[in-house]
Amino acid sequence: MSSSSQTEIRHIRPYVHYQCSCPDVNKSSVSLELEKEESFNVNSPRIQFSTFSISKLYFCNDCHQIRCPRCVQEEIVSYYCPNCLFEVPTASVKSERNRCARNCFQCPICQNTLSVLPSSEPQPPPSPISPTTVPAPTVSATGAPYYLSCGVCRWDSQEIGMTFEKATGLALQLQRTEDERPDVKEFDHLKDHFEKHMRLNTPSTALPSSLLSIPGMSSFSSRYGGMVSNNQQKSDDIVPYDAVAKVEIESGLVDDLVQLKDVNQITTVTQRINQLSDQPYKVERLQPQRIHLRTKRVKRCRSCRHILIKPEQKAQSTKFKIKLVALNNIPKITIASLPKLILNQRTQIVLKFSNPLDEEISVDLTLQDEINECGKVNILAPRFNITPYDGLWEYEEQDLVASKSRTASNSIGIYERRGDSTSIIVEITPLAEVEEFKFPLLVTYTSKNNENDGATTEEKTNETSSSKATSGDSVADESTRTLSFWTVLGLGPVIKTPSGITGTMVTGPRSEPSGSKGPTSRGSSSGNSNRK
Amino acid sequence: MEPPIVYYPRSEYIETDTGNKVSRKSVICGSQNIILGGKTIIQTDCVIRGDLRRTGGGHAVVVAIGRYCLLARGSIIRPPYKTYKGIFSYYPMKIGDHVTIGEGSIVEAATIGSFVHIGKNCVIGRFAIIKDCCRIEDNTVIPPNTVVPSFSIYEGSPGVFVDELPECVQDLYESRTKDYYAKFQPKD
Repeated sequence: MSSSSQTEIRHIRPYVHYQCSCPDVNKSSVSLELEKEESFNVNSPRIQFSTFSISKLYFCNDCHQIRCPRCVQEEIVSYYCPNCLFEVPTASVKSERNRCARNCFQCPICQNTLSVLPSSEPQPPPSPISPTTVPAPTVSATGAPYYLSCGVCRWDSQEIGMTFEKATGLALQLQRTEDERPDVKEFDHLKDHFEKHMRLNTPSTALPSSLLSIPGMSSFSSRYGGMVSNNQQKSDDIVPYDAVAKVEIESGLVDDLVQLKDVNQITTVTQRINQLSDQPYKVERLQPQRIHLRTKRVKRCRSCRHILIKPEQKAQSTKFKIKLVALNNIPKITIASLPKLILNQRTQIVLKFSNPLDEEISVDLTLQDEINECGKVNILAPRFNITPYDGLWEYEEQDLVASKSRTASNSIGIYERRGDSTSIIVEITPLAEVEEFKFPLLVTYTSKNNENDGATTEEKTNETSSSKATSGDSVADESTRTLSFWTVLGLGPVIKTPSGITGTMVTGPRSEPSGSKGPTSRGSSSGNSNRK
Repeated sequence: MEPPIVYYPRSEYIETDTGNKVSRKSVICGSQNIILGGKTIIQTDCVIRGDLRRTGGGHAVVVAIGRYCLLARGSIIRPPYKTYKGIFSYYPMKIGDHVTIGEGSIVEAATIGSFVHIGKNCVIGRFAIIKDCCRIEDNTVIPPNTVVPSFSIYEGSPGVFVDELPECVQDLYESRTKDYYAKFQPKD
């Protein structure tokens, strides 16, 4: 679901996406890797899965590499209920079946959070509101029995005859009925049956060690591994299993479904899969479900196993003990100005590169081809420096508008230098009417490393760069670090005709570099003149 | 894509000492019960009901809004209400720092944390609690009493969890709100 919405957004807005080469994921497929080295194809279907916006990426300091969600490993730090935000100890997660064991329930109809209401409290009948979330202790004497009510679809648990004597520990009260269910009983019985057998077998870890970090996986591995290795000798020892519970098949169900006239009489697929144990077809048999727990996770680099993300354990905390994200480590590229792209007309766009590091970096830009199937791309300043990030720059934002013309640099192709960012001009000439003008851009940056930890200065350049890449220039001595990565820039649709709106945009032959380029600069210059 | 500079007519907005920019075309009721943290923008046609306060006398803060917040055009902030032990009352609302509330959204939450983005045309139900670092997509309806945990994206009607936000969302929203404030400039 999330990925689909993500791809939709990709088509609507202009974007800059960074490629992660995923060295570990692609390790096995060497042939593919070679193929990719040859060319970086922006139209390949794989691009959807290997390019990300900068906010989704991590940066491993030890490997000096970008890491994407696909090439990190996750370990669960803590479990918590997303509704009551209660942190559940790992030991009890399993016995509570990964669901909240307090008062948090999901509506069986609309999957929303239910609230506990006392049935005898006087309520204003016409108002469609739930007056109280938590009943007061004084009411509890008179408030019983309690019931669950949904604030969205108005379902309440009295409909299915579910009421509670106490307003607290509802899950515990429900757990008893849950344990009574034949499927639960059967599973427990089945587990007991095979556990006897498992214990006899010597556990041998057959799983790769990387999977062992997942809680519960080690026990699974010992069982599973035992099963596989000792299957031949020991399989005879298993006592034949007799089912304890008989799940009766609803005999009339098929007939009922055949004669169904109103679709609301049966449950939807979502409702059914939310009640996995019996997946009822009849609405009356739907039960409120306890809310699933959520997790906080540590993320590790797959290559060096170093921790990239380490959240604080507390459920309510949003802080991280370790946070190595790409946003704080590699230059951020934003499209600062983007006029409408018109077929066969040269348009200038402004790309802003910001430096998050506290040392100066020099950036090299390389295009794969000057002309691709979308059109022609020309970078006027393929090489430039960005001054280091300094917290003080933030305070200069006040004179944002005024300083614009002043800071405009006189070097060709540089639109503006300001604080920790440099904006450059890229000329685009669309040659085809496409839904989305996109082109790949190889970014290589070199930073002077003050710490000089003496370790390997990575040169990833050779891995992804095409033959045109200036990998030769980025010779890294001991005090510099070089990293290069591909980016894909999507600039939105190309329009065929200007249709009388040419006046609003700057196109055509290139004017002087520091002149008016986009709506921003025009706005600011007019603002200035007004002020004077 | 970098947001453009937004110009507003200088005469329309009142700028306070702490840098809040409040539109004269917005409806601010009971302003003595409203706290703005500073550098907060309240745009045209917004409504903040600071007059809907707890029954019983005394001065009380009804709506507390943090720093670098943005109430976009036509958004409505209304404290939540309920009848508790037979007494109808309004309850205070707290909004953290770096919170963006989209155009035409109606907020009746109990608490909104910091670094929260609420899209356009959303309805945040009564006594909803939105924790820090959350994103509510456009046209979402968050039902009353819902808790939105940190780092979640909620979408739909009723709003449900659809995805997790990346870890750097705090920096992202902070720079975005600061950037918006810096680029919200007067023009005569």
